[in-house]
This record gives sequence, structure tokens and C-alpha cells, in this order.
Amino acid sequence: MSTKYLHVHKLRRVYVWEKPVRIYHWLNVVVLLALIITGFYIGNPLAQLSTKEASDRYTMGWFRYVHFVAAYIFFFNFLFRIYWGFVGNKYANWRQFVPFSKKFYKEMWYVIRMDILMLKGREHMSIGHNAMAGFTYFLTFLAFLVQCLTGFGLYAAMSTWWFPKLFAWVPSLFGGDIITRQIHHWAMWFFILFAIVHVYLVFYHDYVEGRGEMSSMGGGWKFIEEEVFERNHHQTPNPTKDTK
Amino acid sequence: MNDASVKQPTYYEEVERKGYSRRDFMKFVSMMTAFIGLENSAIGDVAKALETKPRLPVIWLHFQECTCCSESFIRSSHPIVADILLDKISLDYTETLMAASGVQAEQAMKNTMTKYKGQYILCVEGSVPMAADGVYCMIGGKTSLQILEEAAEGAAAIIAWGSCASNGCVQAAKPNPTAATPIHKLVKGKPVIKVPGCPPIGEVMAGVIVHYLTFGRIPELDKLGRPKAFYSKRVHDSCYRRPFYDAGLFVESFDDENAKKGYCLYKVGCKGPSTYNACGVMKWNNGTSYPIQSGHPCIGCSEENYWDNGRLYERASSFAGFGIEATADNIGKAALAATGVAVAAHAIATNVRKKKLIFELEKEGQKSEKELES
Amino acid sequence: MSKRIVVDPITRIEGHLRVEADIENGKIKDAYSSGTMVRLLEEILKGRDPKDAWAFVGRVCGVCTSIHSLTSVRCVEDALDIVVPPNAELVRNIMFCAQYIHDHVVHFYHLHAMDWVDVVNALKADSKKTSELAQSISKWPKSSVGYFSDIQTRVKKFVESGQLGIFANAYWGHPAYKLPAEVNLIGLAHYLEALEWQKEIVKVHAIFGGKNPHPNYLVGGMACAIGIDDVSGINAERLAYVGQLLKDGKDFVEQVYIPDLMAVASFYKDWGAIGSGLGNYLVYGDLPTNGYRDLSSYKFPAGAILNKDITKVYEVDLKKEDEVQEFITHSWYEYKEGKDKGLHPWKGESKINYTGPKPPFEHLDTTKEYSYLKTPRWKGHAMEVGPLARVLVGYARGREDFKAVVDKALKDLNIPITALFSTLGRTAARGLESTLVAEWGIEFYNQLLANIKNGDTRMAEMSKFDPATWPKQAMGVGHTEAPRGALAHWINIEDKKIANYQLVVPTTWNASPRDHKGQMSAYEAALIDTPVAIENQPLEILRTIHSFDPCMACSVH
Ligand code: HEM
Ligand code: HEM
Ligand code: NFV
Ligand code: SF4
Ligand code: SF4
Ligand code: F3S
Ligand SMILES: [Mg+2]
Repeated sequence: MSTKYLHVHKLRRVYVWEKPVRIYHWLNVVVLLALIITGFYIGNPLAQLSTKEASDRYTMGWFRYVHFVAAYIFFFNFLFRIYWGFVGNKYANWRQFVPFSKKFYKEMWYVIRMDILMLKGREHMSIGHNAMAGFTYFLTFLAFLVQCLTGFGLYAAMSTWWFPKLFAWVPSLFGGDIITRQIHHWAMWFFILFAIVHVYLVFYHDYVEGRGEMSSMGGGWKFIEEEVFERNHHQTPNPTKDTK
Repeated sequence: MNDASVKQPTYYEEVERKGYSRRDFMKFVSMMTAFIGLENSAIGDVAKALETKPRLPVIWLHFQECTCCSESFIRSSHPIVADILLDKISLDYTETLMAASGVQAEQAMKNTMTKYKGQYILCVEGSVPMAADGVYCMIGGKTSLQILEEAAEGAAAIIAWGSCASNGCVQAAKPNPTAATPIHKLVKGKPVIKVPGCPPIGEVMAGVIVHYLTFGRIPELDKLGRPKAFYSKRVHDSCYRRPFYDAGLFVESFDDENAKKGYCLYKVGCKGPSTYNACGVMKWNNGTSYPIQSGHPCIGCSEENYWDNGRLYERASSFAGFGIEATADNIGKAALAATGVAVAAHAIATNVRKKKLIFELEKEGQKSEKELES
Repeated sequence: MSKRIVVDPITRIEGHLRVEADIENGKIKDAYSSGTMVRLLEEILKGRDPKDAWAFVGRVCGVCTSIHSLTSVRCVEDALDIVVPPNAELVRNIMFCAQYIHDHVVHFYHLHAMDWVDVVNALKADSKKTSELAQSISKWPKSSVGYFSDIQTRVKKFVESGQLGIFANAYWGHPAYKLPAEVNLIGLAHYLEALEWQKEIVKVHAIFGGKNPHPNYLVGGMACAIGIDDVSGINAERLAYVGQLLKDGKDFVEQVYIPDLMAVASFYKDWGAIGSGLGNYLVYGDLPTNGYRDLSSYKFPAGAILNKDITKVYEVDLKKEDEVQEFITHSWYEYKEGKDKGLHPWKGESKINYTGPKPPFEHLDTTKEYSYLKTPRWKGHAMEVGPLARVLVGYARGREDFKAVVDKALKDLNIPITALFSTLGRTAARGLESTLVAEWGIEFYNQLLANIKNGDTRMAEMSKFDPATWPKQAMGVGHTEAPRGALAHWINIEDKKIANYQLVVPTTWNASPRDHKGQMSAYEAALIDTPVAIENQPLEILRTIHSFDPCMACSVH
């Protein structure tokens, strides 16, 4: 009887995305969508046809308001995620993102060969995100930083609170508000393009790996092949952290 | 008729001489005080300063410029120019207005530089061309850099008038063929007050000078070296069209119905939201109007690099080398389409190239399914 | 033996002008005019949006502010075949008129007067006599004894303070000053008066263009929408404001500028025989009354006069390859096809190449290149442009309005028409055309009101604003009569971008170095034979040079 099931993978349930990471992720998705939609509107507001007086409406005002509220949430959520990069589990650790070792680069190259050049080989190797994904998130974090700096730099002039004022130096760094705004606007496109590719790749991995990638950001669980588990168990990048 | 060393009258003496009463004088002082944003309690100080100081010697240099800063300066209404020239400062050198020419003009500048060493204010209108050893601006056979360095040496402070002197303005726009350079990049060890604008508002120019006269020190500057009194707010923050902006009501095209109603000019390229200047509050030509009030968007004339930060009538700037219509959004949309195509292609390729893998996964699943039934 | 003298900087002008002159027996035998600052805006404009060009070229000059912007929008409209609505044409004309009287009055009092008026001598005047004299020549209300004595006291104290400011180290007491003390005092008083006045008339620009200097223009019309029932936009209040300013401007010209000009001129009639110069005059024409394309409708008629022959006026065509050309034989530039070639501006090049001495230097080598100005020629002729050219062409064309003011002035001064070909003639012509322009400004204003009343409130033609509507290639030329003379811009548009943009400017015509044939331009020619009483005091040189009202930032750009 035992031979009967041998060709089927043995899967192990791994708790990769802790609840704080999941909450962070989905909050991030929501506020980013809000920021992109309102950002688009701020950048190029629609023509309104109505006979109402200006004093009876506040369309642009509302879009900006939502943008700024979302911006604050986005910023603190981001700060929280950086914090969690130091205290969270192995898959949330900052080392997953920053290309600091030779191994990291090797893995990135491997992913490029497998997923982009579509060469054949051993498919399932990582448990959390692969090195390439990690690196992309690292770039994303840099873009978050650019967006927060330019955004709050612009916001400094509109605010009387000390916090945004901390960023007042930013526009002078770039040579004024005009160019800062342009950078802020251009950077938005990075998020849009990232989101498309990112969501596609989540589907892709789910499809070619069959490990429940799609739902992992929901429940936190991924299903890892016993072989992969074994391999990772014996050579983990950060052995001090738990590896269950 | 060179300068004789007679006792110099103070502002108060001059005002008195002109037939104004002490009350008029105090009125002027309190207006000036309010104007430069001081508490009422400072009125005493201002009055005292004006009563006891001799006329401030000023050397005003002209380099790569269009003289509109000088023109704007003579448009000042409070204080008026005649009073500034006769009563407040001693404008000892300015090519635009001085009676003497040639060697006599150069001599007049030298006299002030020696007699008032360390005391005179150096005003600079225009940028300094640094390419080709400075030959793109020469006066009296010397380069503008040579003249600037000599005159800066004994100056108490330097005022960089207008966008030319404070950021290079139009001649520094790409490709900046003469390497036009703003003043603060060339003089070291002296306070440089930047008064950007193309030109700055006349009363702002007069206000900067009056501030120095009154307090004997330069006004408080922001991070970019501009007097906070006039450059700490965006045009947008004091724009009377702001309610239309907040309401989302915009001029869609010049001379449309919305333009007649005075809606916000944001969508026809207004740079007011990114421009620090006093236009909305002080307005131009003694409060007559300002660009936005006349129906034209702000072009951001007091901002660094404004010539290269995008076209006048577009919100989004174009990308150098992509043609004037290649805005960020157009490029973004193209990138979006490209990404869409790439994703689709990748999805198809996946199904082809990784057919075996997917097939195995499916088989594994089907097998399990069967085995469950069995 | 002649002696080479140098005047640099020439002051009371716009920009950086150097004159080198050879003096022999108390007269100028040879002269060289050099522009010593360059910004290369023509290079900077390449690759930019033609709709934005007006803002760039507007910054060519803040003294004749607005005029390059106007030329630029006309140039782009010509290339793209845009016809602006009548109201926009009228607003542009009104702004043009305001600019003119501003520029001319400021030139007369603040840039030119001290060549004729001895400020220090004014302190000796009797204020009562001055008041009587002033009242006898004008009904200007501010001519009381007290007014003049107050000014005298004020200036006296100023002089006694020992800090002479802009009046320091000048030529006071020079033998060439001829005015009685009372006329000097009127001149001085009105110097201050004009300083006050000039900031008013420019408010016309603030109302229609948002600010002055450097008001805003718009390709296709003007941005100042008419909204007679709205608080924003051009409404009754704004229009009334403009009306008042134009009227006050006209009063000042008629009651202060012209009487002073005539009073001063009557003491300097000898300058009607000095500084004559080329005798060739060129005018492109301006102030359309039936659309820019209808040249015959212009208030300032176009035309060329050669050799002082005002019986014949030649037609001018700016698009013809062999009419306007620029040479660089004595200029610090290079052309692809060599130094002696003339280029029509549509094929113009602006490649800089300084070959002069290394600063600091004493003299330029005037046998080689010696200026940043190019040398424009019309059909090979050196031409003078400016107020005198305009007045002569108007007169030669038999226009009644020109004839009336010119003949009256000649009669009042009791001088023949030939005295106009001179330093004095140039200075007088500037005043004469100011009276015409002040009057026309009010005419245009009334037409604008009438148009609006009839329901025409269009201010901009926007159908070709979007570059998508443009042809792949387009060429245009726009011209104006700037205060200092004939001005035109030429544009080549390719792929919706500026491929080439060339300006040929009034002061470039007048102040340029010699051409490939060795012909002088107007400044140099006019300086020949100018007397110089004291070699190291260039007062007479300043008179002739100032009579052209130099603008060097314009001339080089
Ligand atoms: C990452 C997400 C963000 C995106 C995609 C985004 C997008 C945009 C866009 C497209 C604009 C319009 C720019 C223009 O064309 O003029 C804009 C404006 C602005 N954004 Fe953001 N933004 C983001 C984050 C932030 C943050 C974190 C702040 C911080 C306060 C911020 C503050 C602003 C401000 C102040 C403006 C100018 C609004 C105005 O002047 O009324 N943004 N944003
Ligand atoms: C605006 C849209 C989105 C943004 C900006 C975004 C951003 C991110 C970021 C920054 C991470 C790294 C998480 C971390 O470790 O902190 C991540 C991971 C992840 N996201 Fe998203 N996300 C978006 C939408 C989505 C959606 C719609 C899904 C699912 C259907 C999804 C599923 C995932 C999953 C499964 C991971 C783990 C990735 C891996 O295993 O490499 N994301 N996302
Ligand atoms: N020359 C010249 Fe101008 C004028 N008038 C312009 O075209 O002065 Ni600034
Ligand atoms: S800053 Fe502008 S206004 Fe001032 S000189 Fe320069 S170009 Fe002219
Ligand atoms: S017109 Fe310009 S400055 Fe005024 S509210 Fe609109 S965008 Fe702001
Ligand atoms: S264009 Fe300049 S004048 Fe003021 S409104 Fe804008 S800063
Ligand atoms: Mg040119």
C-alpha cells in the first residue's frame, strides 16, 4: 500500500506570513490603491459639468484629503513593516530583501533562469519569497521611501504640524517643488507596474508550484514539499530564527 | 564733483527736510514694520534705526541679464523709487541709471569700494558666464567674474536680484551654452540674499533693502537662501482662485466659459502649487494684478530651473529626448501596455515551456483524486 | 595723429556696450561699437515647444519688455496659420502703446536727459522764474513756485550730504551743456516726476498680462478672458482702469514730455547737424487695425528709405531670402559656410567663437572680430531703425497724422526737415511718435469697448493649440516695431519642436560691427564727425549713442 502514494509530494504546512505581515500587506494594498486613484485625480482632475457654486463642492479638496490620510497610513504602515523586519519571523526578516550575500545573487540568477527565461530545472526551492521577489520588494521599499520623502516634502508647505515640516528640506534637495512633484508623479508608475507584475507572479507561482501561494497572504500558510523543507532545514540563512 | 565728506543726514532728517511731520514718519515706519512682518513692539526699533543711520552705499552690478530687475525695482510704490534713491540708499554704481560713463563710472565704483569698505551692499543683477574663461560677459575689458570678485571683497552683504542672479534663469536653461552661474556659487564667506523672480516684485526688492536698513542685518532666510518674509508661501496658498481648485472647477482651455468665470488655471499648466512667491498677497504693480488674476497660469518664475521643469501649459513635464509630448503619463501608459503584453506572453510561454511540469502537477492532483475515491 | 579712446561701460542704456573711437582735431574720425555680453538664447530655444517661446524670448529684454513676446506669438501664429480674434489684436495693441510711452518717457528722462540737463546747475535756478517758464510751455498743473523750490531744496541737501549716488562723478559743468538754469531745474524736477509716473502706465500690462516687467502672452490670442459679468476676468472695472491709465499717460506725454523735449531742443539746434549717420531707414510696420496680415491697415506703415530720399519708399519682404541677411565678418561667431556669407534668418546659425583679446584688456582688435552682435543688412544696405525711421517713413508715405506732428515741431523749432537726419532728430522723433501712440492707444481702447458692447467677447483662438493639429513642418516670421525699431523673429518648426529660432533685433541693426564690405552700421556712422570737447569726458559721444536708445541685451540675446 505504501508504494501506492510514493509519486505524490508530501506537503508540509508552513506558517510563512505572520498576521502583522498580512495586515500590513492588505492595508498597504488598500492605501496604495487609494493613493494611486487620488494621485491620478490630483495630477489630472476631470472636467466637471454642473451649475453648482464652487462653495457647494469640494471635489479636489476631498481627493487631496483622502490622499493625505492614505499617505499617513501608508507611511506609518511602512515604518511598522521595517520594524517587523527586525522582530518578525525568518520570512519577514530584512535579510530576505537586501542582497547581502553571494547566495542571494545566485538564487536571483536561478529565479531569472527558471521564471523568466523559463529554462527547466528544479522548481520549488524557497519557502518564503524567493531571492528575486525579495529583491523586488527591496526596490519597492526604496520607491516607498522616495514617495514618502517627496510626498511629505511637498506636504510640508501645506501643513502646520511639525511632522511633515521635518521633510521641508526635500524639495530644496531636488531643486524646488516643481521637479519634486514630477518625481512624485513618475514614481507612481513604478507602483502601478509593480502591482500588475506582482499579482501576475502570485498567480503564476500558484499555478506552476501548487503550494497555495494565492491564499498564503490570507491565512499565512504555504504548503512546502518535504524535500524542500529538509533542504532548507539544514542550511538556513538565519539559523537563530525558527524554521518550522 | 566727487563725494565730499560732509555729515550724512539720517532718514529722519531727510524725511523732515522733505516736509513730513514726525507723525507721517511714524506712519511710514509702522507700515514698513507691518510690511516686513514684525510685531508692533518693534516699531520703536525701526523708527530709531531710520533716525540714526546715514544713507547706505549700494553698488549694483549688471551681468548676464535683461535689466528687468532694475525696471521692476523702479516700479516700487512703497517706498517709491525717488525716495529710495534720494533718501534711503546711495546708489553709487548702476549702469542703468548713473550719469557717469566709462572711466568716470569705474572710478565711482572704486571710490565706494575704498571709502565704504565692509559697509556697502553689493546688488547683483544677472548671472556670471563661466565658460570660455568668462569672455561671454565683459565690462571695461574685464570679465564679470573679475568684477564680481573685486566688488564682493569689501561688501557687507550681497543681494542676488532676480532669477538670473539667484539661479541662472533663462540663459542657464539647457544646454546653458555660456555656463551661466548664479552668484551664491561664486562668492564665499559673504551672506547672499536670493530674491528670485523674473523679475521679483518691485516692492519685494524695496522691502529687502528696507529690512537691511532698518535692522542692520539681512532678513531671515529659508533653506534656499530667500527672505522668508516673501518666499515662505506658495502662490497657490494665497491664490484667490483657490476655492475653485478645491471645488475641482478648472479652466479646460483658454477663453472657455470657465476662463470667463475665473476658475482655477491648474489644468492649463499653473505652477502656482509649486512656486514660492508673494504674488497672491502683494500682487504686482502696486497691487494691480498678478499673472493668475489676468487669466494666465503662473509659470513658476521664481523657482529654480523653471525653464527646464516642464512646458508652460502642461502639468506633467516632458522627458528630454522623447519629444515634447512624451509626458510621464504617456510613457507610463506605454509601459503599462508593454507590461500587459509581456504578462500575457509570459503566461502563454509558461503553458508551453512548462507544459510538462504543469501536466505533472495536474496528474498528481488527478491521481490523488482517484486514490481518494478508490 | 588720431587718438583712440574707449568708453566702456556706456551707462544709461540697457546692457553692455563698448565704444572705441579715434579722435582727431576735436572730432571723431573713426568709431567702433561692440556688444560684450552674450546668452545664446537662440541655441537654448532649440527643441522646445513653440508655444512656450514667447516666455523665453520675453526675457531677452526687460526694458522693451513684452515686445519680444508679442513678436514671438505672431511668429508662431504665422507658422501655424492662426488668426487671433480682433479683441486679442486690440489688447495687444493697447499693451504695445502703453509699453511705448513708458519706454520713451523713461528713455528721455532717465537715460538721455543728463546728456543735456546739468543737474548741478539746476541748483542755481530761480524757482519763481522756473515756475513761470514751466507754465508758459505747458498747462501741467504741478508747476508752482513751491513745487520747484521744494525740489531744489531737496536736491541741494542731497548734494550737500556728500553721497551723490547716481549723480556722482559725472560731467557737470562741461562746456557742451547749454541750458539755462531754469530749464535744467525743470528737467531735474521732471526726472523725479517721470520716475513716479512710469510705474503707473505699466499697470495696463498688469491688467491684461498679469505683471510688468514681463507680462504674459499666449499663442492664439490673450489669456485675459473677457467676463463682463464676473468679478474675475476683464470686466467694467478693469476696462475703466485701463481707460484711466491711458488717459493719464497721454496727459503726461502731451503736458510734460513734449514741452520739455521742445524746450531742451530749442537750445541744442546745432545737434540737428551732428550724428546724421547712414541716411538709410527701415521700418517693418505695426499696430494693425484690420488684422496682422493686412499690412496696409497698420498705424505705423512699413517701408525703406535710402540715402535720405524721402520721395521714395521701398517695400520690404521679410520672407525673401535676399532681403534681410545677417553677416558675421566682424562678429565672434562662425558660419558653416565661412565668415563672409550672409544668411537669411530662416537659415540662421548662432555658433559662438570668441577671438578677441584675453581679459583684462585695454583695446579690442577692431580690424578683426570685435562684437557679439551679428551685422544685419537689407538688400546689402546698412539701415538705421527706430523712431526716426518710423516717423520718416510715415511722413514719406504721406500720412496726415505723421505730417501734422512733424510739421508742427519743425515750425516750432524753426528748423528744416533735413535737421531730422541727426542726433537731435532721433531724440525728437521719439517724442513725436509718442504723441501719436498715446492717441492711438485710446482709439484701440474705444474699439475694444465697442466690440465687447456688440457682443464679441472672444479673446483666443484655441483650435490649433494642441500640437497634434500641427503640420510636420512649418515656418513663420513675426514682426513688430519695437520702441528701438524694426524687430522680427523667424521660426522653423519640425516635429512640433523648434528646429531653429532666430531674432534680428533693432539694436542689432543699429549697433552692429562693420560688414564684409567694411560698411559701418548706424552707431559707428553717426559717431563720425561728432565733436569731443574734452577727450577724457565722453559727453558728446553719449549724446549721439543715447539718441538711438541702445539695448544691448536685445541686440545680442
Ligand atoms: C506611494 C504612493 C503614492 C502615490 C502613487 C502618489 C501619487 C501622487 C500623484 C500622482 C500626485 C499628483 C502629482 C502631480 O501630477 O502633480 C500626488 C500628489 C501629492 N502627493 Fe502623493 N502619492 C503617494 C504617496 C504620497 C505620500 C506618502 C505623501 C505624503 C504626504 C503624498 C503627498 C502628496 C502631495 C502633498 C501631493 C500634492 C498635492 C497637492 O499639491 O495638492 N503622496 N501624489
Ligand atoms: C497594490 C497591490 C499590491 C502591492 C503594492 C503588494 C505589495 C507586496 C509586498 C511589498 C510584498 C512583500 C511582503 C512582505 O514581505 O512584507 C508582497 C507580498 C505578497 N503579496 Fe502583494 N501586493 C499587492 C497586491 C497583492 C495581491 C492582490 C495579492 C494576492 C492575490 C498579493 C499577494 C502577495 C503574496 C502572496 C505575497 C508573498 C509573496 C511571495 O511569496 O513572494 N499581493 N506584496
Ligand atoms: N533693440 C531692442 Fe529692444 C527694443 N525696443 C527690442 O526688440 O530693447 Ni530692450
Ligand atoms: S531675473 Fe528675469 S527679470 Fe531679472 S534680469 Fe533676469 S531675466 Fe530679467
Ligand atoms: S490658479 Fe494656480 S495658484 Fe491659483 S488655485 Fe489654481 S492652481 Fe493654485
Ligand atoms: S509666474 Fe512669477 S510672477 Fe508670480 S504668479 Fe508665478 S511667480
Ligand atoms: Mg539673432
